[in-house]
Amino acid sequence: MENVALLEKRLQVAGTLLILGLVIEALCLLWAKPITFVLFVAVGGVLLFAGVAVYLYSVVSTPRS
Amino acid sequence: MPHATTLIVILVLFSAALIGVLVARPGITATRGGKILAFLVLFFLPILCGAMGVSSEMDRSKTTAFCLSCHTMEPWGHSLHIDDPNHIPAAHFQNHRVAANEACYTCHTDYAMFGTLKVKLAGLRHVYIYYLGTPPAPEKIKLYEPYNNRECLHCHAGARSFEEGATHTADPATLPAIRANTLSCLSSGCHDVVHDIAHLKEAKLWKETK
Repeated sequence: MENVALLEKRLQVAGTLLILGLVIEALCLLWAKPITFVLFVAVGGVLLFAGVAVYLYSVVSTPRS
Repeated sequence: MPHATTLIVILVLFSAALIGVLVARPGITATRGGKILAFLVLFFLPILCGAMGVSSEMDRSKTTAFCLSCHTMEPWGHSLHIDDPNHIPAAHFQNHRVAANEACYTCHTDYAMFGTLKVKLAGLRHVYIYYLGTPPAPEKIKLYEPYNNRECLHCHAGARSFEEGATHTADPATLPAIRANTLSCLSSGCHDVVHDIAHLKEAKLWKETK
């Protein structure tokens, strides 16, 4: 039961990071400015990478109950 | 905004909404279907959105409007409208010798391996200087490296006007020197009027008819 709760918690963290990353990417796509290009890659890209990494980590690291 | 970008934004927001459902109800991942959904929503869709977004941003960063969106670049954009056929960038832009919507990129990219990556990194340097450094006055902006003939020859090599041009063939050493980049296309007395920002105020400008 504890493992399931831990997995769900980690999935929520991954999801939150991904939502933030996707929202930033969507906002950056609305404006064609050099600064939005930098934000898209540096902030949105990093959040997406972190979200996917946390998801993969949660899948492989949480022991089966 | 181009239709493709609109579709990507819709996909990105749709993905964010699906992830929101998963964050609100993580319990649905207990079932096999939930696990597949989690994989699609937390792995596949974000990577797809990221890849499509990067592709869109890369394409957009090549546009003339993107380059000229920085205040510092405005005079350089105006110089494309100088009404003088000897003014090389203006003649190329006005006669569509380069795609008008990608005029800056076409001449200022690096037509070598990883050239696009190299110019994007140089672009990041521009952004850094613009926001965190002290941008020079427009007339003091210089290229990081001398302009390479390779960029001109990307289009002109093999063209009759270039290969058989009277000035180019007058001396047999000229064409090999141009190809070897030892004689610059922008040498004094050749194609040396380029982005004449210092005299922009006195220049007659061409008005585009649409």
